[in-house]
Amino acid sequence: MKSLTLALALLAPLSAEAAETGRLVRFVSCPVYRDADSGKKSGCWLADARDSGERFDVSLSPYKPDWNRAVLVEGRTTGQPATPCGSPVLDPVRTSVLDEPCQRHMLPAEGFPGRRFVLPPRNLAPLSVPRKPVEGPFGPRTFALFFEFDRAFVVYQYSDFLLDQAAAWLAAARPKRVVVTGFAATAPETVSGRLLAERPEVAQERAAITAESLHRLLPELVIETRTETAATPTDLPDADGLPGQSQRRVEIRAEF
Amino acid sequence: MTLPRRLPLRLAWPALGAAALVLGAASRPAADDPWWSPGEGRVFPATLDYPNAHGVMRTLLSGGPLPTRGHPFFEPIGTNGRACVTCHQPADGMSLAASTAAARWELTGGRDPLFAAIDGSNCPTLPQGERASHSLLLERGLFRIQRPWPVREWQGRPVTPDFTLEVVRDPNGCNSGPRYGPAAGNVSVYRRPRPVSNFKYLLAVGFAYDPKQGIALPRDPRSGQMQSGNLMADNRAGSLFEQMADAATSHLQLMGRLTPQQEARILDFEMRLHTAQQISHAGGPLDTLGAEGGPAKLRDSQPGALGSIGTPVWSEFAAWEKIPAAEAAKLSPEQLAFRQSVARGAQVFRNKTFLITDSSGINAPVGFGNPVRNSCVFCHNMSQMGNDVAPGQVDLGTTTLPFADPWPDLPLFRITCRGKPHPFYGRVFYTYDPGFALTTGRCADAGKITLQSMRGLAARAPYFSNGLASDLRGIVDYYERRYSIGYTEQEKQDLVNLMSVL
Repeated sequence: MKSLTLALALLAPLSAEAAETGRLVRFVSCPVYRDADSGKKSGCWLADARDSGERFDVSLSPYKPDWNRAVLVEGRTTGQPATPCGSPVLDPVRTSVLDEPCQRHMLPAEGFPGRRFVLPPRNLAPLSVPRKPVEGPFGPRTFALFFEFDRAFVVYQYSDFLLDQAAAWLAAARPKRVVVTGFAATAPETVSGRLLAERPEVAQERAAITAESLHRLLPELVIETRTETAATPTDLPDADGLPGQSQRRVEIRAEF
Repeated sequence: MTLPRRLPLRLAWPALGAAALVLGAASRPAADDPWWSPGEGRVFPATLDYPNAHGVMRTLLSGGPLPTRGHPFFEPIGTNGRACVTCHQPADGMSLAASTAAARWELTGGRDPLFAAIDGSNCPTLPQGERASHSLLLERGLFRIQRPWPVREWQGRPVTPDFTLEVVRDPNGCNSGPRYGPAAGNVSVYRRPRPVSNFKYLLAVGFAYDPKQGIALPRDPRSGQMQSGNLMADNRAGSLFEQMADAATSHLQLMGRLTPQQEARILDFEMRLHTAQQISHAGGPLDTLGAEGGPAKLRDSQPGALGSIGTPVWSEFAAWEKIPAAEAAKLSPEQLAFRQSVARGAQVFRNKTFLITDSSGINAPVGFGNPVRNSCVFCHNMSQMGNDVAPGQVDLGTTTLPFADPWPDLPLFRITCRGKPHPFYGRVFYTYDPGFALTTGRCADAGKITLQSMRGLAARAPYFSNGLASDLRGIVDYYERRYSIGYTEQEKQDLVNLMSVL
């Protein structure tokens, strides 16, 4: 059973803060790589919303495109200048790699610098760095981590950070048991003329990979896995106000 | 220590003091012989130096000399006369150079246990007295590795492979017939032996997660410690205990199991070893004028640090970027130029970016994107060592078409993914060695090979898991072909010089 707080969160519309951010866009497109060079990881990813004719800079996604495949773009428009890559910036943004093949295409830098890489805020510190102790009091609490469309891969410098935050808290809190619930957005939605729906089984895949990681990190933990399909949007903060991202999640609930 | 200018290197070597310098050929007395035969009972000194084409390789044994008489690493504990040391020779950076194997064949007429039919020949079914039957070992330093097929279990969980494996070509006969090949329940691939040294780095865990697999690291069932995933080419052994059990059974043909005492002694010895090039023919001693080459730095540093947020990879040679004029005057022009080249090579290694494309484990599924711009140090990221802080299973294409070079003498397999296609090769593709997929049973892991150790390269050509690079230049040339990097000739030479001093 979910905590009351979480249940309310799931039922609530997106928060005012999220609603005040830019226009939400969601489309499927073949990504274009712009070979901007400001050092490592500095290249640009662009994607065209074919319905509107707009080209967006989607480089800030924590999981980036594959130029061989279509991507599902979900993001919010911003007032950020287009100077890094030459197109309006979506931020926050997600780019889920789909199975649909694309003609790979690379643009030259054309004078655009890209972005010099900086560590994202959600990055793991090495084990050699002393951790700040997690302090109580401890009570029922739910953590969430998020996934690419129809995948169960725990994304580097995004979901692994969220998982690690949960694990560190669980290690200190020592709950009686942990319920890991995998969600899948199985309700079909039409995006760019395509009917998109996650596979029901990806909910179990997400729960299983998360539970296995928790088991490896905290072998003594008692873990139960569950699944929910037809996931609905939530305003969980680490989904960054993107409804689609919030649906594709795992919840880790500590019970005492 | 500084070599006197213009002093021939050969004369300067005795100045190494405690070093047990070994220059002898096979005809010399056993104590000077670079070849360590099983059971000969030499004492392994605390400092052991051997010359190679690029200079001198040094192996340090922490804790002092080790009498090897009766030691399970050095004794022929199996049934074929080999010991661990047979294929992990100190003169070859604790690996085995193909040239050493060839010299051993000439010296012994092929009767050394090194050439045991089980894996020192192209296939046990071939006539063992013929040189051609051992061509892969003699020419490319490759040993036959027989893996069970289909794989049924990994990390304690049952596995059903999501791909089929068919033999397209079997030039050696070890992937067909009644005893060998997928139809007989096994697959034979051919690989270089990995060095048995610097293990504290290869076992180091810098982070608790494997970003390439999207999961926390597994734990060793014996110790409870997390496993680095950096020991073997296909990551089939997560700990040194698993590795030595695998090697004892397959390579030494040990009937039965290693005893706990034997395991403990092998582990103790292996964990005390640090190996690196100590002297360069072209540049002189590698720990002078502020440089920190050689194995002492390896011995004295903490392993597992990510170079990008700490000590930059190969910054051991940063002091040679700007050698003061007064110091430069003490070097010959050739030594000075070489040292400057090494320092440039380290910078090229770290800073020369290029587009990495279609490489599983890098471009998918981690989230970096395909392509991603980065440099050599993207994967070779551990300070002091240059291996991957994370488990290093990536596909550079060295074993898989179309990127791999043509090798008519290697078996070729056709892989058909039964579920999702491989992210870059598609549903059907061809490989000489499925690598990590032989361990996990996953099509997406085909072609992935654990990053090689970069220390001691000067003593153990050829390179890459299947020996495709015959020399250090061959490594650079492969990367240039694979990723169209655009290295200048100077940059290529700088990288070669850097690798020659690691």
